Amino acid sequence: MAGRGKLIAVIGDEDTVTGFLLGGIGELNKNRHPNFLVVEKDTTVNEIEDTFRALGAFSAGEAEASPDHHDPQLLNETPNRQFLNRDDIGIILINQYIAEMVRHALDAHQRSIPAVLEIPSKEHPYDAAKDSILRRARGMFTAEDLR
Amino acid sequence: MAAADLRAELDSLLLQLLWDLEELESKRVALNARVEEGWLSLSKARYAMGAKSVGPLQYASRMEPQVCVCTSEAQNGLQKFRVVRAGAQSPEEVGPREAALRRRKGLTRIPEPEVFSASPNPLNWFGILVPHSLRQAQASFQEETLKLQMVLEMKPQMEATDSFFLGLLVAHL
Repeated sequence: MAGRGKLIAVIGDEDTVTGFLLGGIGELNKNRHPNFLVVEKDTTVNEIEDTFRALGAFSAGEAEASPDHHDPQLLNETPNRQFLNRDDIGIILINQYIAEMVRHALDAHQRSIPAVLEIPSKEHPYDAAKDSILRRARGMFTAEDLR
Repeated sequence: MAAADLRAELDSLLLQLLWDLEELESKRVALNARVEEGWLSLSKARYAMGAKSVGPLQYASRMEPQVCVCTSEAQNGLQKFRVVRAGAQSPEEVGPREAALRRRKGLTRIPEPEVFSASPNPLNWFGILVPHSLRQAQASFQEETLKLQMVLEMKPQMEATDSFFLGLLVAHL
């Protein structure tokens, strides 16, 4: 990967992930972890959170253990969801309704790389009021920021 | 006088932020419209090919990215993003790579460094002959990935303006 740009990761519903993979962002081979996660009805919030945190933390070269991710069933079903030691992701795309499930993890992510971008989903239209960028900007006009 | 200058500067920063907000909103609308077009095309493809014919079951077991993002830091410290697609060449790369005279027989070619290895078109995962709607979906999402950088660059810019504004405000309260 030396000399190459960073990847675009996507956490989303089936249509979103399929679309972006069609667009050519996907990476998967026998030695590497996928840079995408399809969130289905039975996908747990913990799995989404672990995937996001791993994508965000390890992209900065940090080695962070995930003590919550030792569920044997999860490991058996999704052995490559850890995204361990990944420093090659520049952007994380995430459906806004999924971002709401892990809002605390998104708010804790302060680094500029990887950049997180919330996108709408087919069944949940985009709500500007929930976007992390716009919420921060809106905070400029409230008294709470002055405390 | 200093207070008047401070107020003028704060007003300027606020106007800049509002301008950035408006610009971000317009870019967002364009981005969202493109992804919605992609979903519609995917739905049409699914209608033509079958409900289970366009989904994770068709994903390849090996994928090579055709798009990457190059990050850099501008002089003002803000992050810049550039989405690059495979096959894209910068103007400096076009032209002969060596100044030596070419030989008539067996021109020695230096292997050119490539950003990506030759990767098959993801459309091939779904069959040899795919409906036009699936190609349209691919085009929509390809264009979507190229537009991402425009939205992403707004965030550090707005955060910088925000921090500067609050810093000035708090320092002079």
